[in-house]
Amino acid sequence: MLMKFRIVAVCLICAALAFPSRAQTVDSADSSEYLIKAGFIFNFANLMQWPASAFSKPDSPIVIGILGADTFGGTLDEVLSGKKVNGRSFVVKHLKWGMDLKDCNIVFVSSSESAHLEEIFRLLKGLPILTIGETASFARRGGIINFILVDDKVRFEVNVEAAKQADISISSRLLALAKIVPQTDGSKAP
Amino acid sequence: MKLQDLSIKRKLMMITMLTSTVALVLFSASFFVYDLISFRHFLSEDLATQAQIIGYNSAAAMAFKDQAAATETLAALKAKEDVTAAVLYSPDGKIFARYDRANVGKPSLPDRLPTFDGFRFQASYLEVFHAVALNGEPSGRLFLQSDMSQWNSRAKRYAAFLLMFMLGSDLLALLVASRLQNLISRPILRLEDTMRMVSSKKNYEVRALKFYDDEIGRLIDGFNTMLSEIQERDAALQGANFELKSRTQELEGEISHRKQAQDELLGAKRAAEDASRAKSAFLANMSHELRTPLNAIIGYSEMVEEEIQDFGRIEKIDDVRKIQSAGKHLLALINDVLDLSKIEAGKMGLHFENFELASMVQEMVSTFQPTVVKNDNMLELHLSEGLGQMHADVTKVRQILFNLMSNACKFTEHGNIGLSVDRLEAEGQQWIRFRVSDTGIGIRPEQQENLFKEFTQADVSIARRYGGTGLGLAISHRFAQMMGGQISVESEQGKGSVFTLYLPAYVTAEASGTVKPKQFGAPAAAAPEPKPQPKTILMIDDDPAERELMQRSLTKSGFNVVAVADGEEGMRVAKRIRPLAITLDVLLPGIDGWEVLRQLKADSELADIPVIMVTIVDNEFKGADCGASGYLMKPVDRELLVKQIEKYCEIPPSTSVEEVSVDASPSPEVHPRQR
Repeated sequence: MLMKFRIVAVCLICAALAFPSRAQTVDSADSSEYLIKAGFIFNFANLMQWPASAFSKPDSPIVIGILGADTFGGTLDEVLSGKKVNGRSFVVKHLKWGMDLKDCNIVFVSSSESAHLEEIFRLLKGLPILTIGETASFARRGGIINFILVDDKVRFEVNVEAAKQADISISSRLLALAKIVPQTDGSKAP
Repeated sequence: MKLQDLSIKRKLMMITMLTSTVALVLFSASFFVYDLISFRHFLSEDLATQAQIIGYNSAAAMAFKDQAAATETLAALKAKEDVTAAVLYSPDGKIFARYDRANVGKPSLPDRLPTFDGFRFQASYLEVFHAVALNGEPSGRLFLQSDMSQWNSRAKRYAAFLLMFMLGSDLLALLVASRLQNLISRPILRLEDTMRMVSSKKNYEVRALKFYDDEIGRLIDGFNTMLSEIQERDAALQGANFELKSRTQELEGEISHRKQAQDELLGAKRAAEDASRAKSAFLANMSHELRTPLNAIIGYSEMVEEEIQDFGRIEKIDDVRKIQSAGKHLLALINDVLDLSKIEAGKMGLHFENFELASMVQEMVSTFQPTVVKNDNMLELHLSEGLGQMHADVTKVRQILFNLMSNACKFTEHGNIGLSVDRLEAEGQQWIRFRVSDTGIGIRPEQQENLFKEFTQADVSIARRYGGTGLGLAISHRFAQMMGGQISVESEQGKGSVFTLYLPAYVTAEASGTVKPKQFGAPAAAAPEPKPQPKTILMIDDDPAERELMQRSLTKSGFNVVAVADGEEGMRVAKRIRPLAITLDVLLPGIDGWEVLRQLKADSELADIPVIMVTIVDNEFKGADCGASGYLMKPVDRELLVKQIEKYCEIPPSTSVEEVSVDASPSPEVHPRQR
């Protein structure tokens, strides 16, 4: 099973690599967009409450895994370097298919992996991992937070149900700013 | 009107009001300030809290750069009226979201964000800066601005309330003060009223009313004490004034009375002087008139004496000589009276000249020798050496010496007559002393006093025996005085007398001016009364024989008798003639003697006249009871009646008898005793 997952993951990554134009487009669209997103990710971490089981030690770092093409291009590391939330620092990992996702606390699913979302959600199901995506209907399909652009400004959707399933509590202050979306059947999504 | 001149009432009110107002203002102001400061603090705290809430609420929006959410959060401030502006700044200092109160224009925002967090008062605004952080992660800054309208309105409300509170309190204080100031002002006002009454009406009987026992009470007590003292003094002063007035009136009365008396006295004096002068003139004239016939008498008697000698009728010669002697005596008498009259009338002149004293005395003594020898006396003459000259009226000096010498000879028998003259100095002046001594009968001390007065001799009996007018010494005395000298006497009865005459060696007119003719006035007035008033006796008796008998015997005794037959007539006559005495019979026709006696004694004019009852009724007690002076039974002894009259009328027996006898028997044999 694990093997199969890995294959899928690799396939996904390959597929992502097969469509570099898409990625480039996003990248070139607004380089500052990912700076903002990096900031947002920090803010999300700040406003999240993971279950105690998520960390082995009280000062264990928050591990952010980037799945798919690294659209941040290093900005996330820059933004998070030296920052701490509740005494925890950040560690950014670039994930590959087949890697154990359990060590992550946050998994950023790049838009390159939009084709493998079902696979990813299935893998992460039941784990206290905050999933952040930038693909339309990411949240609806089971992701917890999804970046969207409203009037060229970075905003986000939150799937409260998904957060609940992941045993992650989201601050109301975050929810107040978010667009709450319901959970829909992923297969039926376009 | 100045503040200081306000009435005490006003002042008290003002002090109270001022004090309470100041206290109130201070209290209110401090309260006001304290409240506003604390309210300001509260406001700033409130705004800071506000900022904290807003900051918290907008922190996420800031973090996620959600301007809309942030603006919405800020918009919640609409509920806060006094927040004029709220701005959220992003960490890079740019305005991220802002809120401006609708009805205010765009507020001025700080040019530059201060680095501190907290509040500050800028102009009339309260501003708060607050760092916005999301779970400790700074996400921006919040700026809040308040126009403190709450504070302002509160201040206004507070001020209005305090003002009203102050007004109310002042009103209350005014009410209380206007009541309480009476405590002090009322006694003072009453005291002032009293004082005004005292000063305007001079009424010292009023007293100020005392209200309380405080300082004003003591002041009123003092005032009242002072008033009563003034009242006492006023009364005393008025009393003294009244007494003074009455005394003054008395004195005025007395003065006018005395003045009247003085006028009367002056009048009397003038009258007396006039009378005296007239009398002196009369005497002088009379003396001249008397001398002429006397000269004839003396002259003719001398002629007759010579003729008798020629005819050898020696037995008749004694008679003629008696006529001659009497004539000469009378002449001397007249001369003396003339001299005295001249002196008294101020017509006696002095003729001063220088003369040799020793020779003058010797000459006089030699002519005096026969008189000395006559009474078998020895004359011793002693003249001091160096008597020298004297300046005086030589005639007057000689006359004085003659008089003194003749007196000495007259009153001395078988004795010694001495005359010594010497010159001595006293009081810076030369004096001549003449001493005439004798070993004669002497003079008693009480007689010496009157010795130099006119018509006075040492003794009446002496006058009878030795004769003389009694004018000699008086004239000598006057002459001595006229020349500035004096005569004195030392004498012992039975052993002799010494007369000493002092005269200035050089008599001047000035010295002679000491003469005072006045001194003669009084004694002279009594003496020369030419004819004494006859002593009239009123006799009331109804028996003609008795009247005839008594009238004759009383007339013989020198009384003038008026006789009437009844009592009524007697009363009338008594009033008219004022008799010396009245003899009264008891048994009379009409009203009887007792009634007449009673009426006489009841009449104030007649009560003093002594009444002697002469009657056959024997009731001496009743007579004494009714006021009769004497009581005689008929038939009356003539001598007894005369004695009684003399006794009750206080007539010296000898004088009355003598006066009468002068008229009765003017024999020269009886009279040579004068001189």
